[in-house]
Amino acid sequence: MIYLDSAATTLEKPRSVPMAAARAMTSMASPGRGGHPASARAANVMYRCRELAAELFHMDNPEQVILTSNATHGLNLAIHSLVRPKSVVLISGYEHNAVTRPLYAKADVKVKVAAGDVFDSDGVYAAFEQALTNEVDVVICNHVSNVFGFIQPVERIASLCRQRGKPLIVDASQSAGTLPVDVQGWGAAFVAMPGHKGLYGPQGTGLLLCGGEADPLLYGGTGSLSQQQQMPDFLPDRLEAGTQNVCGAAGLLAGMEFVKQKGIGRIQKHEHRLANRMMDRLERVPGIQVFRGSNQSGLFSLTVEGMDCEEVAEQLARRNVAVRAGLHCAPLAHKTVGTEESGTVRLSFSAFNLEWQVDQAAAILLELVKHGKRAW
Amino acid sequence: MVYYLIICRSLTYAQRTAHVLERAGISGSVMRAPKLISQEGCGYCVKIAERWLTNALLVLRREGMTPKQVFLQSADGIYSEVPT
Repeated sequence: MIYLDSAATTLEKPRSVPMAAARAMTSMASPGRGGHPASARAANVMYRCRELAAELFHMDNPEQVILTSNATHGLNLAIHSLVRPKSVVLISGYEHNAVTRPLYAKADVKVKVAAGDVFDSDGVYAAFEQALTNEVDVVICNHVSNVFGFIQPVERIASLCRQRGKPLIVDASQSAGTLPVDVQGWGAAFVAMPGHKGLYGPQGTGLLLCGGEADPLLYGGTGSLSQQQQMPDFLPDRLEAGTQNVCGAAGLLAGMEFVKQKGIGRIQKHEHRLANRMMDRLERVPGIQVFRGSNQSGLFSLTVEGMDCEEVAEQLARRNVAVRAGLHCAPLAHKTVGTEESGTVRLSFSAFNLEWQVDQAAAILLELVKHGKRAW
Repeated sequence: MVYYLIICRSLTYAQRTAHVLERAGISGSVMRAPKLISQEGCGYCVKIAERWLTNALLVLRREGMTPKQVFLQSADGIYSEVPT
């Protein structure tokens, strides 16, 4: 199979990842729940995971790294910590449902959208500059749109938030492992990311990097201050009730070690080169609209005239090419770009994709477009 | 042998403490704090040899890390708190 759906989950992992997860399952117990070697091994993996995440994403203190079950979990924690009834929240026009649904679920919260044209960084920044008024309590922005690969001007938005004293939550779901993420440099209140995409960890893993204080969503045992009935007031214990996903953390650690060894810059270049190669082949074909811009990561969207995006993805799947179609859980991003009705077909790459895969997938897609439904 | 137990607020803090000390050439092991000296239930500590205490406290202070408490564990197993 030619797998071009790494923006959902990187399917091909470094071999060290499943090995580490399997080893953890048979040799590690509950971290922080015992003094025996099996518990200590688990605790050691969890700590190394935090430490490496702190190093990769520029944080001094590994205690501020929370292991979550995915980016959605991290974003829910961040939103729960900062957004109160009657809060005004400013979000970008490219946010995922992992942001918009938790906001919708909160009573009496006003959401403002700073929408700019896709790939227009200056326009997006100007929209934030205008909308970030005194009434705004919290700002949320993704680093990269999961639909269009648009790299949003997060550094400049972060600087604006610092100037105006507003806390910023960054969704780094599509950038962690492929673009520099600088938690301290941005001064972000929270940065959430999945473990199973660009960090090459198993599904069910994620990280929340905390710039400040946070409130728990789950209450329970932490292995600390057991006689106290309120949750500990320090991280990571405050946000990590119950036995953690040690096997996942072991896999995530191996994945992050791979990213560190390979280099974020190299991975970024590789994915970008493959995406450009694919877009070069497709964008000149009549009937195919490729959404392409100068500030784009290693993923892009397209539409095919006269074909439903889900049909295109289905036909590609039958020919062993895996892509994702539809709204990508980000209707707001589609609304911003005007593809809400049609949806798009999204292609995304990882460090493991090769040029021949791009060429073959492009040839299959071109054949489909050329012959239309007759080819099916 | 006499040891010092640096009591930490959490397992992660104890791990960080041990790591900071290790980088300064001070070896310590993370362990569960004895129940007798864990005031609020389960806790963790870093156990170091007697000769390292002064240096360890200096290193931790330099890193902005504050031990919750420090106990001396005497050869007969008695714990006594040490002012830091």
